[in-house]
Amino acid sequence: MWMWFAKLGSPRWFYEISTKWLPWLVSAMCILMIVGIIWALLFLPPDYQQSFTTRILVIHVAVAGTSLAFFPLMAVAGTITLVWKMKLADMVAKNAAPLGAWFSFVTLATGSLWGSVMWGTWWEWTDARLVSMLFQFFLLLSVVALRSAIEDPDKSAKACALLSIVGCINVVIIKYSVEWWNVLHQPSSPLSTSNESANGPEFWMATGVMILAVYLFFIVSLTLATRNEILQRERRSQWVQEIVRTS
Amino acid sequence: MLEAIQFSSLREFFEMGGYAFNVWSVYAIFGIFVLVNMLLPILRKEKIIKELKRRASFEKAETDSVREP
Repeated sequence: MWMWFAKLGSPRWFYEISTKWLPWLVSAMCILMIVGIIWALLFLPPDYQQSFTTRILVIHVAVAGTSLAFFPLMAVAGTITLVWKMKLADMVAKNAAPLGAWFSFVTLATGSLWGSVMWGTWWEWTDARLVSMLFQFFLLLSVVALRSAIEDPDKSAKACALLSIVGCINVVIIKYSVEWWNVLHQPSSPLSTSNESANGPEFWMATGVMILAVYLFFIVSLTLATRNEILQRERRSQWVQEIVRTS
Repeated sequence: MLEAIQFSSLREFFEMGGYAFNVWSVYAIFGIFVLVNMLLPILRKEKIIKELKRRASFEKAETDSVREP
């Protein structure tokens, strides 16, 4: 168990295993994304109330769901950094923050574009779901800012780890905001394959494909960024110099 | 499969039932989002490798010149 843990923390091990896995992950991501987008754009039947705007929700739901994974991921990575000082965990946490800000921004933008026609408003300050998601966006930007504001890499890693752990509270608020408060944003409809549910099986299947595609995209993009970080931080080691020489 | 397509003409497809601006904006934002976050790390890797190569050849030249006399 500890051998496995130590191995997992080794940047070299991560770099080598991800070299093997990346082509498969990228292919799966491309196939799922193309299938999901074609399915959503061409085949999704228009909703009797929302017409063709459900095509927006396929993207919105997939990106929004994935955006909630960032703070828990950064908190786990941060805890590992604080307790075991594992180099790899901090590299993952560092690159997750800007990507998470992108995810939160796209969630807000796509939600706004849907709300502007279905709710008749682009933004609603009294809606807890909207405001807590905006808060997550700013919180992720402040993690990015905090990282570059503190020069000592050890101290900035520790500060970001603490902020990430605190930031998890907001994820819980985002998740349950639609149940705790009476808000404009609808609660998530239960996954159902019956035709009587709010969203029919076609919607959930297209969205399911898109959720998988977006999750894979999140893993691939974060892995690529982490590999760059490894190359830079480990540039003095023999194995990185070997990679540089042969590429 | 083709009869399951929800549009009978290309024009209808672009119009998206009158929600063309909102639907196509969302897909444009999503496309840019995915492309940027795939391409940026790939371009950055090339830059890093180039920089590390330059540094390696620089260091090698330095040690060679020390050995020469």
